[in-house]
Amino acid sequence: MAASLSGLLKPWTPRVFLVRWSRYNPYYLEPEVRKEAYSQPESELSAEEKEQRELKMIRPIKAAASGVTSSVFSDPVLSKFINMMMEHGNKVLAREIMTQTLENIKKKQVEKYHKAPEGQKEEIECNPYTIFHQALKNCQPVVGLESIRKGGKIYQVPIPLSDKRRSFLAMKWLITECRDNKHRRTHMYEKLSQEVMSAFVHEGNVIRKKNELHKMAESNRAYAHYRWW
Amino acid sequence: NNLKPLTSASASFQACQSEKHLGQFYTLPSAHFRPLFPHGLPYRYQQQVKTFNEACFMVRPPALEVISYLKKADYSKPALRYLFYGVKGSGKTMSLCHAVHFCYTQGWVVLHIPDAHLWVKNCKELLPSSYNSARFDQPLQATTWLRNFRTTNEHLLSQIKTKRRYVWTKRESTDEGRPLGELVNQGISRVKSSSDVVGALMKDLRLQSSQPGADFRLVVAVDGVNALWGRSTIKKENKSVDLEELTLIHNLKKLMKNDWTGGAIITTLSQTGSLYTPKSAYLPQELLGETGFDSMDPFIPVSVPNYSEKEFESAYLYYLDRKWLQHPQSRTEDGKKELSFLSSKNPSMLDRICGFL
Repeated sequence: MAASLSGLLKPWTPRVFLVRWSRYNPYYLEPEVRKEAYSQPESELSAEEKEQRELKMIRPIKAAASGVTSSVFSDPVLSKFINMMMEHGNKVLAREIMTQTLENIKKKQVEKYHKAPEGQKEEIECNPYTIFHQALKNCQPVVGLESIRKGGKIYQVPIPLSDKRRSFLAMKWLITECRDNKHRRTHMYEKLSQEVMSAFVHEGNVIRKKNELHKMAESNRAYAHYRWW
Repeated sequence: NNLKPLTSASASFQACQSEKHLGQFYTLPSAHFRPLFPHGLPYRYQQQVKTFNEACFMVRPPALEVISYLKKADYSKPALRYLFYGVKGSGKTMSLCHAVHFCYTQGWVVLHIPDAHLWVKNCKELLPSSYNSARFDQPLQATTWLRNFRTTNEHLLSQIKTKRRYVWTKRESTDEGRPLGELVNQGISRVKSSSDVVGALMKDLRLQSSQPGADFRLVVAVDGVNALWGRSTIKKENKSVDLEELTLIHNLKKLMKNDWTGGAIITTLSQTGSLYTPKSAYLPQELLGETGFDSMDPFIPVSVPNYSEKEFESAYLYYLDRKWLQHPQSRTEDGKKELSFLSSKNPSMLDRICGFL
């Protein structure tokens, strides 16, 4: 629809400037946050790149979201997780919890590393980012269940999930598990770090939940043909 | 690799304290660490020691300066007062601990008060003093401090003898000539009179180190000395307690006066724990106030700045070596520049940022 209307979209800047989460005029372009994109000399992807740059010089650009940075340490998966943990818009607190979690994981692993004998040092993974990413991957279900109504009855039918949905489910399960099923006096970062460490080695409640989902899907295999998409 | 291993011989430790080693780390032997620092180190540093299984100090100019003065001072003259000041997180407490470690290796008696602010706030028990009815005692803080003092100076307490007779109650007294260890044990076991024991201990050590024939030197290390001349939030029956009415503070102020010889007084300012001071204040004039500055005058102010380029490099390499910086991007040049910018080379900010990277 935007394509057909693009003839009508003129370079118009409103009197009151738009804030990120209201609807931008489709005329506005997304900002480029990565530093590498600006340090490339003239000799890249000649036609398309140059056209893109020309366009960016003319058209207005949306304001950058507050969650994206051009820092070398930024991680989209981590930002998504922080946004999911955030409550009442308190990003500062959510980020604080996340950094404390990563520090906690790293502390435990580095302590183990320094106390371990020489032969076992290489096996201990100290990087909290790899542990976190691996734990999320381990928590992702392969198939999901959908309630489909057929002939008056509702059946739980196994369906394939998109990558986005899978990673969303993994993160959601991790957060809800830490919020609900742990002792109420422990800090969130402590609960999260324990859960992430156990998910890394395929233990813990989130992995159990994933496996139960897989079992249910396996047992309902017969209904798979009820899916019509 | 810029880690210099330290053996227990004090000669090689002396060798590590010269200008050549500025910016490099030296490791504290674990035999020194447990007794010397039961209290007094910043919390994050204690956790770091636990994680890395070793305690490393960076050799920095302020601490080196104070150590060089300590080496050259004349101990028949009144005690010199050193004051570390700087912005939050620039390493004042660590410089103090470095200087205290130096004194410990020389065999001095270490009187280290970890944080004077803890004595003027959040007091759970306040008893009227047995010695002077106008003052108040703080038994809990006094007993914890006496216990830590005993851990630090175990080996010297049996050699130093008391010079006066102290009467605690009708049935208990400590005679002249008993080892100081007995005095300290008395304070720890009899909680009610512990603050008075602290006062007596300070007086005794002060008098004894002033005598020409003394075989030990006294170092008084106080962190957050601006608490002694600030305000307190302790309330007795809804009335705020004045600082002069607290025995511990009163005796500590007497120690801070430079009317005794044979030792040194090393102190730090601290805004973080202080009461009713603005967050931006870090200079001695602002934090000590009129009365404080006049009582501390004359003193040797030592400024503790943020890391220089070389020191930042050194700290970065130390974290890399100890496997603390794990993010793959943090090992690149860009990552290092970003770290330097984000922390603005402030030691504690760098520590916090590297914590999660």
